[in-house]
Formats: sequence, structure tokens, C-alpha cells
Amino acid sequence: METRPETFSIFRTQENDPACQSEQHLGQYYTVPPSHFHTVFPHGLPPRYQQQVKTFNEGCVMVRQPALELISHLKRADYSKPTLRYLLYGVKGSGKTMSLCHAVHYCSTQGWLVLHIPDAHLWVKNCKELLPSSYHASRFDQPIQASNWLRNFRTTNEHFLSKIKLRQRYVWTKRESTEEGRPLGELVDMGVSRVKSSSDVVGAVLKELRLQAGGTEGGFRLAVAVDGVNGLWGRTTLKKEDKSPEGFDSMDPFVPVPVSLYSEKEFESCYLYYLDRHWLQHPHSQTEEGKKELIFLSNRNPSVLERLCAFL
Amino acid sequence: MAASVTGLLKPWTPRVLLVRWSRYNPYYLEPEPRKEVYHIPETELTPEQKEERELKSVRPIKAATNSVTSSVFNDPVLSKFVNMMMKDGDKIIAKGIITQTLENMKRKQVEKYHKAPEGKKAEIECNPYTIFHHALENCKPVIGLASIQKGGKFYQVPIPLTDNRRRFLAMKWMITECRDNKHRRTLMYEKLSQELLAAFSKEGNVVKRKHELHKMAESNRAYAHYRWW
Repeated sequence: METRPETFSIFRTQENDPACQSEQHLGQYYTVPPSHFHTVFPHGLPPRYQQQVKTFNEGCVMVRQPALELISHLKRADYSKPTLRYLLYGVKGSGKTMSLCHAVHYCSTQGWLVLHIPDAHLWVKNCKELLPSSYHASRFDQPIQASNWLRNFRTTNEHFLSKIKLRQRYVWTKRESTEEGRPLGELVDMGVSRVKSSSDVVGAVLKELRLQAGGTEGGFRLAVAVDGVNGLWGRTTLKKEDKSPEGFDSMDPFVPVPVSLYSEKEFESCYLYYLDRHWLQHPHSQTEEGKKELIFLSNRNPSVLERLCAFL
Repeated sequence: MAASVTGLLKPWTPRVLLVRWSRYNPYYLEPEPRKEVYHIPETELTPEQKEERELKSVRPIKAATNSVTSSVFNDPVLSKFVNMMMKDGDKIIAKGIITQTLENMKRKQVEKYHKAPEGKKAEIECNPYTIFHHALENCKPVIGLASIQKGGKFYQVPIPLTDNRRRFLAMKWMITECRDNKHRRTLMYEKLSQELLAAFSKEGNVVKRKHELHKMAESNRAYAHYRWW
């Protein structure tokens, strides 16, 4: 990895810790340290952003208003009361997934256990393999999705897996069962290796975490981040599927957080970032005329701008 | 030829108006899509430009085609390439393939750029448009062959080519090469970007084909006098 000199620039900030970022950093890019990158975000990032990270050799996230709001709520919330839910909403391509990932980064730097579901639609639609669930008669399972998710869960939360102990005995087949008091890591490994019962393992993991999260002895904070959460209530291609997803209650007491398109300042810093990373190559795109045209064509929508700048 | 005909033609508009056809009465003038031409103030115009403006105010003008934009990013060579790649009039797919190709080329070059040591950075060309233009230049043949009949037999005679013909041949070779010689699973934009990057550094199948054409022309030098134009 190349080391960059610490030059002062308008669109970058040296404050790489989400906990210390505040309104003065709005519109600036902070770098996710490369060592953290693969542990914190094995899944959950939009695919085009992952390609961008690979091309630029670094992962930079813009500090934006919705993410900061979410993080400040998380800092100040009172945990003895019932948990609050936050809903990020906005037009397509306005940056909801990225704000969610920013908040997830904050949670993992604070040492919380993060349950990040990259896309709820994947679990509900278009599944290639189905297995009728042994747990509930009317449910269907998706073994591949479940095993993928468990593998990523293991990468994200390594240090928690050995600490948490199971409170209940789980029986998978006639010959296999997991006893009480074994660490969670074993459960997850079991789910990854045995694909057939991986969805049951997912259910068991969620149940365990729910029971243990608020506990006083060695209790840890649990953050659940679900992307595409409307998929859990929308139409499913699987008939007779139980709508209540894995035991979560319905979303009623929630705090809505709107995610808007780029403001002028944010657009400026995005433009400067692309220029800095040698991404805007067309000679005309670097002029004022080209910039005005980019604003017009993309309407300051982050994903549209990204797609436009890709071939310019 | 058109100059003499236009003198005789009167400003006649047919009852059924031709919109966006390619065959117009030669009386009609070409549209000017570039914005900067209209921003020049009255005082700075040269006499020819003034004359041109006056002519445009009396003559009818052809309708502009869909592919012509007043955007700064408009590139006529690229539009021609898109049109040649198009099948069954589906320009959306052709344009999509070209944009994916440009993006792919840029990604590869930018990745190489960021990983290269400081000294080598200046040599890596990241702009996909310059790569495209240079690659096309490298694929253009200098001399072509024509089949000329003399004394009952056909001979391959080396002839000079016009600029348009050279450009057409380069694009045609590029497209046929990418369509035919690729693995079943590689996508078109992937293969195109590989070929363009290879042609930029003067390797690859298309420049090989150009060199073979040159060799054929060189070997048939003796028949050059069969050309009468």
C-alpha cells in the first residue's frame, strides 16, 4: 500500500474514527483503514462501491448528514428502555446503504456485536434451492444464503464468538447436537459446514443473541442492520411463507431518517475526490462546462453521478 | 455537382415534410450543434461567418439526428463506432456496450496507475478516449487492395485509401474480431477492452491483420500500374 503525504485538502479529513466525526466534517471523505476493511465489511457494501474500492486501492466514505444523525442517536440512546429502531428512507440511489455501512463501522469500532443483513430481498426472493424447514412446518429455508451469511458473520464478529455461551441445547440431527455452555463460534462453524441445517443455525443464533444482548453480566450491545428491510413485508415469491421474519416484532416504534440527494457542498467534494483519484479522465469533464453538465445529467443523485463518471 | 443544382432550386417545401430522413433536397443546410458557435458576439465575427449566418437565416435546415448532442462530451468517431456495432437498430444496447468498455478500460488503467511506483505513473495512459482514438489510429491501414480485372484475370492491386475508408476498415476489423474470436463466456465489452488496450500498444489480432494487408500490398507491387485513377 502506498503511503500518502498528509496534505490538507478540502474534501478529505484525517479523522478516520466515526465516533469523533461531527458536523464540521460534513461533506468530507474519511478513509476506512485497510486492516479493518475486510473484517467490518465482508458483505453489505453496494457492488459498484466494492469495484471502486478495488480500483482506487482505498475505501473512502463521505460523511453525510443522515449517517451523522444516526450515529448521534446511537450515542445518546438510553439502553435500559426498549430498543429504538431507525429507518433510513430516500429515493433510489441517494446513499441509504452507504449511510448504513457508515453506522455499522461506527458500531464495530465501539465494540458492539453487529448483525448486518446485506439485502433482505435475497432471503425472500429468487432463491435457487429450497428446503422445507424442520423448525416450522410452513416455512421454507435457503441453505446457500444462510451459509454465506454465517460465514460473513464469523468474519465480522470474531472476538465475540468465543465469549458468548449458548443457553440452550440445540439438536440438529439424530446424532448431532450442541450442548449448553458451548461457545457461539462452534454453532456458527457447524452452520457453515453443514449446509442443510444452516438456516436453522441462523434462527438459533438470532434467538441466542436476542436473549443475551441486554443482559447485565458481561452484556454487550447488539446492533441489527437490515438492508432492504421492506423486503421482509413485501411480496414474496414463496407462497405460504410466514411473514414475521425470524421473530422480530413489527417496526412500529421507529425513528425515520431521510436520506437526500447530494447537496452542493457534497457534490463539490465528490467531484474533487474523483479528480484526485484520476477517475474523471475526459478533458472536458474537468472544465466548468463539463461540471455543469454533470450536475444537470445526474440531478446530484449519487449513484447516477457515479455511473456517469465511470465512462467519462 | 450540388453547387450547380442549388442555383436552380427554389425554396420549396413539399407537402409532406421530410423529418429526420437522410435524403434531403441539397438546398437544405446542415445543423450546427456546438454551443460555442452561438456564443460569439456580433463584433467578433469574421466576414465569412457573418455571411454564413445570413445564409442560415434564409435557407431551410435539416433536422438534427438523435445521436447529435450539444453536449461537450459528444464524439463523432465514437458515435460512428456505436452505429457500426448496432444490430437491428438497437442503439441502447450498442451504446451500453461501449460505455461498459470505456469504464472497463479506465478501471484497468487506473488500477495499474495507483499500484505503479512514482516514476512509472506518468507513462500510464488512463483516459479511455485517447486510448480508443490511438488504438483506432494504430489499426488503420495505409494502403488497400482492389480487385481489378485485366485480360480475363482478376489481380489484387494496391490502391490508396481515403480517410473515411481507412477509418471504416479499422472499426470493421475491430468489431468482427471481437465478435468472432472470443470465448463463449466472455462478454463483448470485456473482449473489446482487451483488444483496444492491445491495439494501443500495437499488439493483438487487429494490428496483425493490418500488417498482413500491408505485406500483401507490398508483395503485389508489380501490379500497381494496373490502377488507372
